Amino acid sequence: MSEIIIKTPDNLEALIECLVCANENTGLISGGTDFVIQLSQRKRYRGTIIDLSRINDLKYVKEDKDVIRIGSGTTLTDISENKLIKKYLPSLSQAAGQVGSTQIRNRGTIAGNIGNASPCADTIPPLMSVGASLKIVSGEGKIYEKTIDEVVIGSGRNNLKFDEAIVEIVFPKLSNDYISAFAKLGTRKAVTISKINAAVALKYSPKEKLIEDAKVYLGALGPKSFRSEIVEEALNNKIPSKELLKYFSKALTKQVDISIAGRSSQVYKREAIKGIGHDIFYKLFGNVVPGGDS
Amino acid sequence: MKLEFIVNDKHEIIDVYPGERLLDALRNKLGLTSVKEGCGEGECGACTIIMDGAAVTSCTILAMQAKGKEIITTEGLEKSGELDILQESFMKNGAIQCGYCTPGMLMSSKALLIKNPNPTKEEIKRAIEGNLCRCTGYTKIINAVLDAIER
Repeated sequence: MSEIIIKTPDNLEALIECLVCANENTGLISGGTDFVIQLSQRKRYRGTIIDLSRINDLKYVKEDKDVIRIGSGTTLTDISENKLIKKYLPSLSQAAGQVGSTQIRNRGTIAGNIGNASPCADTIPPLMSVGASLKIVSGEGKIYEKTIDEVVIGSGRNNLKFDEAIVEIVFPKLSNDYISAFAKLGTRKAVTISKINAAVALKYSPKEKLIEDAKVYLGALGPKSFRSEIVEEALNNKIPSKELLKYFSKALTKQVDISIAGRSSQVYKREAIKGIGHDIFYKLFGNVVPGGDS
Repeated sequence: MKLEFIVNDKHEIIDVYPGERLLDALRNKLGLTSVKEGCGEGECGACTIIMDGAAVTSCTILAMQAKGKEIITTEGLEKSGELDILQESFMKNGAIQCGYCTPGMLMSSKALLIKNPNPTKEEIKRAIEGNLCRCTGYTKIINAVLDAIER
């Protein structure tokens, strides 16, 4: 009945040994929050499962001089509560805190969320907005870095080879005058799969009151999260105000119209994204623009 | 495959097959039927247990992943014949209707209180976000947890 082999490496060297023998029937799991469901629904599965959840060396958030490093096995709960991430990339903290439920966040890991490459993965837009990269280990024992954009193909696919595993997520520490925010919309308030999500990172100094270098990434509007230059332009070189919020919302709607033109979901999403715009705007500028409570 | 772990303070060794879910191992091999299967995809929380101090859905975990871990199910809440304060409080506050979600609700609440003995109402709501009650008895469940904190 059982044609499944489970391997449970407990350190990086043991993981590499497991990867050496990997083939197209090898699956990597950590928390298992997606894989185990697929396994039980498919009923039959033949192959090897490499369980990374016992590699404690892959559970960390570290600060280097210019970058933050997150171990691939760090749970979404740990990411959402981590002080360094709250300080340097609040959008990622917010996104991780909104994935699934407490139970799912306690098991699900950041590399799992990335590797699954769902179009609506919540941690991907914040990471893309700061040009995060992934450290990957191969069965040959080589370690190399690729951008998250290169690795995530989208629609549930990534371009990792079967003997490769994500071991670390790296993103640059932005200077103090950068702020970021994430928002998502699903069919219910919590424990929901995003119908749209968005992450914004931008430079804003209260002194000069000017927005610069905005990076806007939108998810669930295509096979994978993508950058919206239209929305970035709407924000750049502007002063935060209620008028800007309207302008920002219009740009978001315009982007939806371009990205999913003719889709049945367009009618809903072009309106719904205004709510995301509102949430993000007040997360970013709630202290300088009044009216964030509605 | 041999799975060795601690369940409700007892050292257990059971045989599981590699693709077996923790949910099925707990129910079928250890007879812990408080662990319910609802949706089987981590949405409803009926199969919630506490593993190494954190609430998790046992339908999304392979049994073998629990090797060496400490697990608490609702059966383990009772200590020397006395129900846990949460169980008492659920009964007193009418937080049980059909009862299907109750073990999961208890486990999510218990995990919250282990981590944070004095949660706010908002924190309680967040802790049980992943537990669905089809009888919609959420208000009484939240009140029961609040009541348990006071006692």
